[in-house]
Amino acid sequence: MASPPPPELMDELVGEILLRLPPVEPEHLFRAALVCKPWLRILCDPAFGRRYRAFHGGPPLLGLLPMIVVDQGVLGPRIFSNTSIPDFRLPGSDGCQMSPLDCRHSLVLICIYMLGDEGDNYIVWDPIKGDKHDLPAPDIPLSVHSAAVLCAADDCDHLDCHGGPFRVVLMGTLDFVGNIAASVYSSETGVWSAPVAFDSGYEAFVRPGRGTLVGEAIYFTIWKGNAIKYEWGQNFLSMINSPSPGILDTTLMALDDGSLGSADIEGSSLYIWSRKVNSEGAAQWIQFKVVELETIIPGTNSDVKPFVAGFAEGVGVIFIRTDVGLFNIELKSERVRKVDRPKALFGVLSYMSFYTPVQGKQGQLDWLMKCEMAARHKMEIAKYLSKLAGLVLHCYLASHFLYPIVNSDSESWV
Amino acid sequence: MASAGSGDEKAAAAAMITLISSDNEKFEVTEATATLSQTIRHMIEDGCTDGGVPLPNVTSKILARVIEYCKKHATAAAGEEGSSSSFSDAAFLEVDRAFLEELEEFDDAFLEVDRATLFDLILAANYLDIKGLLNLTCQKVADSVKGKTPEQIREMYNIVNDLTPEEEAEIRRETQWAFE
Repeated sequence: MASPPPPELMDELVGEILLRLPPVEPEHLFRAALVCKPWLRILCDPAFGRRYRAFHGGPPLLGLLPMIVVDQGVLGPRIFSNTSIPDFRLPGSDGCQMSPLDCRHSLVLICIYMLGDEGDNYIVWDPIKGDKHDLPAPDIPLSVHSAAVLCAADDCDHLDCHGGPFRVVLMGTLDFVGNIAASVYSSETGVWSAPVAFDSGYEAFVRPGRGTLVGEAIYFTIWKGNAIKYEWGQNFLSMINSPSPGILDTTLMALDDGSLGSADIEGSSLYIWSRKVNSEGAAQWIQFKVVELETIIPGTNSDVKPFVAGFAEGVGVIFIRTDVGLFNIELKSERVRKVDRPKALFGVLSYMSFYTPVQGKQGQLDWLMKCEMAARHKMEIAKYLSKLAGLVLHCYLASHFLYPIVNSDSESWV
Repeated sequence: MASAGSGDEKAAAAAMITLISSDNEKFEVTEATATLSQTIRHMIEDGCTDGGVPLPNVTSKILARVIEYCKKHATAAAGEEGSSSSFSDAAFLEVDRAFLEELEEFDDAFLEVDRATLFDLILAANYLDIKGLLNLTCQKVADSVKGKTPEQIREMYNIVNDLTPEEEAEIRRETQWAFE
């Protein structure tokens, strides 16, 4: 005997089901949007987007962006998708060389190396929305430099920063001597701040690696493995010594406990340090974890030194490049996964963002939005008509039953 | 009304509640089992359970399944509370793991139902406000939707496609990657 058809569920319960589709596989939500109009409406409702993000906590790792200079001028930097969504690619820019510097809060920061004597320019790109912001060139004579991008919206939980204000922190070496300078661009003012400088006391260069955001500060590594901290609230620069003096190649990272981390490799051991504040209020490096890479990544040739290729901020995931490929290691479980793409031997930026039908690229899902708007419009008209009908009925009843009483009362008062 | 506030734990544990399904079948359950439902918990707190709790939205077939779920989960919760004081940490962890494994096996077997029953369970879990059961059943449906085409989803859950062919073609064109 065939089983009876399932009963119809209220929108609220359909929403409960759709909420549980995994963010790491965005295609399921996009397919579900095509089931019927009620499902489409639920998925295109911004309230569903908010619930979805809150339900799943942090955004998933959608793809990796190799930190390489792209110079063909036709196609810009590319995010290699982890999922079935297509790779995101930035359109090229007038034949100039470009290199991605940072990814954070759903945004990608790209440096454009201008031809001739012009200083470098910067682009902030939102691959999901398809938005691109050209920043004015900063008027600071920095040689080796790096920069970080972050959301600047007040009280933002950084689960969905698309379309909000942002900041870019630029840090570099001033005039090829040990002075380090930082400047901040705000999308709200549209200008770079006056640079603040710091004398490191030795010939320190800002390494062109990725910046690390912890709390209200951005950290960059400098030559000799030390770090420079920039606090934008105070517009203040300070230096932090390396946890592994003598090791030149250290990588800063944000650990999932909210502390600043530092990773370096000696032999085939990966050392992770965490910067903790002790009971006297002094900050110090504590050894957080040692991972034996040869044990967890079999087949690694001990003659070729592995290196830290990147990290996923705040989720305890680090990327290690060895001679056999790129690997993603979850620090807590030490679970290792080989990352298939990109192949090139470079550092990678991790692009983390939710991707739901309501966030689609500008134009890409216009139709869905229109359908949702039309449905809402219809509902609003229906509500308005029912209100109007109620009002007419009310007036009719009032004129027949209420007014005569009032009139009779008022007459009696006269 | 017997309550935990009386200080007599055994009396509270043994307090029975009668649930009455839409087809007028009566089910006797312990208060611990019944209070997994927030809806019933509030009724007990308000003292509205004398003479039984009528549940006009839940059939006896579905109510029997819901009670089966609540009994198992109420026992597991009580077992966890009881074990925490009488075992060492390691032994507690072991017992805890065994409990969780058993509960997972129970949940898996519990979900082996036809789609109509699954949807009825979702409706009942929502009406009775049983968070664990709502999560379990909704996750089961979400898992079954994963990897399916819109046509397959419609067929599985008896959903009428009210999108016009033009609208459907338009969305498909805009999000082609999701269907490859």
